[in-house]
Amino acid sequence: MAELRTEEFMVNMGPHHPSTHGVCRLILTMDGEKVVAIEPVIGYLHRAIEKICENRTYPQCSPLMDRFEYVTAMATEHVYALAVEKLAGLEVPDRAEYLRVIMVELNRIASHLIFWGVTAMDVGAYTPFLYGLREREDIMDLFEITCGQRLTYNYIRIGGVSKDIPPEFVPKCRAFIKKMWSKFSDYEGLLNENPIFLVRMKGIGVLKPEMAIAYGASGPVLRASGVKYDVRRNDAYSVYDKFDFEIPTQPNGDCYGRFIQRLDEMKESLKIVEQALDNLPEGDIKCKVKPKLKPPEGEVYSRIESARGEMGAYIRSDGTTKPTRVKLRGSSYNHLMLVPEIGTDCLIADLVAIFATLDIIMPEVDR
Amino acid sequence: MTRDELKEHILKKYDGLLTPLETGVFDLMFEVKPANLTNVARMLRDDEQLKFDFLNNIAGVDTGEQFEVVYSLSSISNNLRLDFKLVLPYDEAVVDSVKDIWTAADWHEREIWELYGIDVNNHDNLKRFLLPDDWDQGYPMRKDWDAPDFVRMPEL
Repeated sequence: MAELRTEEFMVNMGPHHPSTHGVCRLILTMDGEKVVAIEPVIGYLHRAIEKICENRTYPQCSPLMDRFEYVTAMATEHVYALAVEKLAGLEVPDRAEYLRVIMVELNRIASHLIFWGVTAMDVGAYTPFLYGLREREDIMDLFEITCGQRLTYNYIRIGGVSKDIPPEFVPKCRAFIKKMWSKFSDYEGLLNENPIFLVRMKGIGVLKPEMAIAYGASGPVLRASGVKYDVRRNDAYSVYDKFDFEIPTQPNGDCYGRFIQRLDEMKESLKIVEQALDNLPEGDIKCKVKPKLKPPEGEVYSRIESARGEMGAYIRSDGTTKPTRVKLRGSSYNHLMLVPEIGTDCLIADLVAIFATLDIIMPEVDR
Repeated sequence: MTRDELKEHILKKYDGLLTPLETGVFDLMFEVKPANLTNVARMLRDDEQLKFDFLNNIAGVDTGEQFEVVYSLSSISNNLRLDFKLVLPYDEAVVDSVKDIWTAADWHEREIWELYGIDVNNHDNLKRFLLPDDWDQGYPMRKDWDAPDFVRMPEL
């Protein structure tokens, strides 16, 4: 019998593949089931937010920020507001900062619930997706009674927040926290010890701490590689220095570690929301901001810890009503750079798990 | 190390390489000559007292008079923050790549190459990625570039 010929072939994963969480195309060179090379192709969601900002006044840019990263839109508004406040030297009232922290942390939980659901779904377990969205719905309801929106809130404004919370918010939020604490045993019981799940996740896509730092990985991805670094603690902004919370880490840096990491972080976020509700001060929700806001000449890079990692905004002012430059830094941008690095030489099914546990969403990459 | 101690350390040890600027309103801001970039970057990363091992961001800026490239760094082990920038005249828009020093620079440098037309030396992967592959309408983030249907907002 003549010798069988083998050759590498190309597979297009995406742009509309359900496991790419947005519109990302990965050009894979395959050797059978094994991935030999990966080339990410991005730009399908590019909306030129940064260019549009240069033609808007500072307050007009604020709603655009929701579209930058719509899964945790509160965090995006927060980083932009913090940057402009630093530039203009505004003092934000304490109550506004506490409300911001409550909203951002609730949004972080909502984002991690989506992560938990879709990651499980990507490796073949459907139930977590339904559970995750069920609890997320309660958070969306809390946002809705506060600002009327469920996804693009435009709630955190320069100098404060747009509206005070309604009287029913605090009891509803406390009820949610109580319910959420009781759900973790369900969540952990569903998958954490499932043998099929463990085979799909443990030891897959290992990210070494040195490599994570070199690639600019941040947030849960960095901490799951064993590096204890959290912007909320290491470069405390807003009122985060007043809360007592842990920074969980995982030792191995594999897909399983990144999965567990986010479950742990949800608990810490719940603790922060509890403390913020207990100590919520009375007072104004917004400081006086001139309608024609003209920050003095200068530049600032402000950063926060969003659900996916470090989110930053570089803003340059030339003393007029419009910014000279707004550059948004999303952590997914750096995490997508990692995919060719840790995804090469694994099976195509593992690549799906790696992509999911890095929690990449595309609007943050393309901007 | 506090912000003032960091500034003092840099002024003492990197005299002439990093010039302090007053424009940074929150973190320290320095100016670096484009020719010294890779040298300074490597020293900032390898200095045991600083260890700037994490590149947060690279932002290209067109001020209307010149290009600027702003590097934001932090140190994970020493918990420090620092920014520095290069000033490039329009006719000398070239930077050296710092990809060997911080791998994270890869796509950030591709972005300033693609959107500003700032050339990057020693970068092995300068390919279009945010714009369409057959894009031939110039550099959209430059101040003198307007889209065909662009309407400039009136000054308020």
